[in-house]
Amino acid sequence: MQDIKSKPVIELRGVARDFFDGKQLRRVLQKTDLGIYPGEFSIISGPSGSGKTTLLTIMALILSPSEGYVIIQDKDVTKLPEDSLAALRLEHYGFVFQNAGLINALTVMENVLIASVVQGGSVSKEIQERAVAILERLGLMDYAYIKSERLSGGQKQRAAIGRALINEPAIILCDEPTSALDVESSTVVMETLKELSREDRAVVLVSHDPRVFPYGDRLIQLQDGKVVTDTGSQIVT
Amino acid sequence: MLFHDRATALGSIAGVVAIIFLVGQQLTIFFGLLSYMSILVDNSGADIWVKTKNTDNFNAAGTIPTSYRDRIMGIRGIQWAEPIVIGAGLLKLQNGNYQAVQVFGTRRPRLAGGPSQFYQGSIEGLFDSEGVTVDRLDLSILNYPSIGDLFEVNGKRVRIRGITQGMRGFSGTVLYTNLAKARELVNMSADRCSNLLIKVDDGMSIKDMALLLKQVLPKADAIPSSELSRQTKLYYLQNTGIGFSFGFTTLVGTLVGVVIIALTMYTNVLSKTKDYAVLRALGARRKDVLYIVFMQSMYIAAIGILVGFTLLSLFLTFTRGTDLPSYMPWWVPLIHLTGTVLLCLLGSVIAMRRAVRIEPATAFR
Repeated sequence: MQDIKSKPVIELRGVARDFFDGKQLRRVLQKTDLGIYPGEFSIISGPSGSGKTTLLTIMALILSPSEGYVIIQDKDVTKLPEDSLAALRLEHYGFVFQNAGLINALTVMENVLIASVVQGGSVSKEIQERAVAILERLGLMDYAYIKSERLSGGQKQRAAIGRALINEPAIILCDEPTSALDVESSTVVMETLKELSREDRAVVLVSHDPRVFPYGDRLIQLQDGKVVTDTGSQIVT
Repeated sequence: MLFHDRATALGSIAGVVAIIFLVGQQLTIFFGLLSYMSILVDNSGADIWVKTKNTDNFNAAGTIPTSYRDRIMGIRGIQWAEPIVIGAGLLKLQNGNYQAVQVFGTRRPRLAGGPSQFYQGSIEGLFDSEGVTVDRLDLSILNYPSIGDLFEVNGKRVRIRGITQGMRGFSGTVLYTNLAKARELVNMSADRCSNLLIKVDDGMSIKDMALLLKQVLPKADAIPSSELSRQTKLYYLQNTGIGFSFGFTTLVGTLVGVVIIALTMYTNVLSKTKDYAVLRALGARRKDVLYIVFMQSMYIAAIGILVGFTLLSLFLTFTRGTDLPSYMPWWVPLIHLTGTVLLCLLGSVIAMRRAVRIEPATAFR
């Protein structure tokens, strides 16, 4: 059982993060070295305050590390300006947020399409066809033109997965996507994410729910801002 | 995103409608009153008014010798010069009550400075030795007289020969009549007149002619009609408090509108913080978020302006021909529209400032 991919899509080298809590500087993420590989479904777990979300947002190029480097496709992107990081997120990342993070004012289709035009421009025919294919695959085509607020929790998360896929990202980052779902919906969402990770994508999921662990190829456990367990990739070549 | 929250969207639109309608309605009345202030000058058809010296507006003028006309007519470039008489009168109503009127006498046969718009009758009615006109808007206070009805002004008989349309002075009912009758009514001798109206030849500089007339008539003042109109308006604005009153109301209307827009737009951004954070996380830059809020405020402005101007045009339609002075010069809506768009932007500035500060990390909380 060894990782078949030699090149990580995201690499964290000696990454640490400090926060000022009003009185003193507190290190919430200790120095961490981590590589995330394509085709790998990684689950980051740990108790509240262990640094899971901090680690995820650093991987997402949303939070800059206090120390260390973030490498994307062999390029150090740690010090890139904000707009360049936004462009990298748009090009390489898909996001699935807790409670889906859909925009209620928009239809399901619009929620999926908006991820392709957040920096302006118009939706091409190719993107539209891709959106239809994604929604069909996720079983949401019948709901494509209704307001997203009318969907159930599980449907919302699947729509959020659809939005994450529209730009064909290499990395999908998920923040507690099943925390508000029942068992049945959680299963559908986790199986979908697992399936996506098999398409040469890196899927990273943050959760403190042990029921999702079996879906992962790799389990990274954090405690007090430190990686205490990293099972490494379980993908068999 | 804004229109999904109907209450917020309607609140913002109400702010724009408030600016357009309340301010616009104030402006129409203001410009209506403004036009009344100088209507006798603006409608005179003269290029220059000769009046007594040291007076602020034509209503306050004393009298000048009618013989000035002969001196003026000798100047090259003068097309015509006509004396007029302006004075106060008391019109006795058929029920025995009195109504203050302003008598305006114009010399036959040119009848220069006389009324130009008629509801009934025509200017020829002033050829009648006792003929006068009253305005349609004053019919109610004169107990609805008809053409041919007889009245007394300052104890002298007059007969209504025409009903004018929109020829109403700022200080009340204007009674147009011929010069001889006006002199009789206000008790002015034939060798005196209130003003001389001057028309210069085509191509002649009005300003230069006014300067020349001042030299020729050192005891009188010659002033271009446009300047007298401006001076008269300014006099009333400064001395009656109308300018302050309308200016204050307009300012309050504008402030109320801007505050409504600012509050609703800001509340909207606050309530949609998570949505903006999600967009930022997905790859939107600060300027993309700014653009969204900007476009929302422009949509609000467009809808509000449409509704506001529709209400305003209805107001103008319904008040046209009533006692309420309402008039909107063509350039005012353009300035009003531009100002409102700018105010919408101003109202959204706080919301924009809040929106660009939203961090993508918020999407993960």
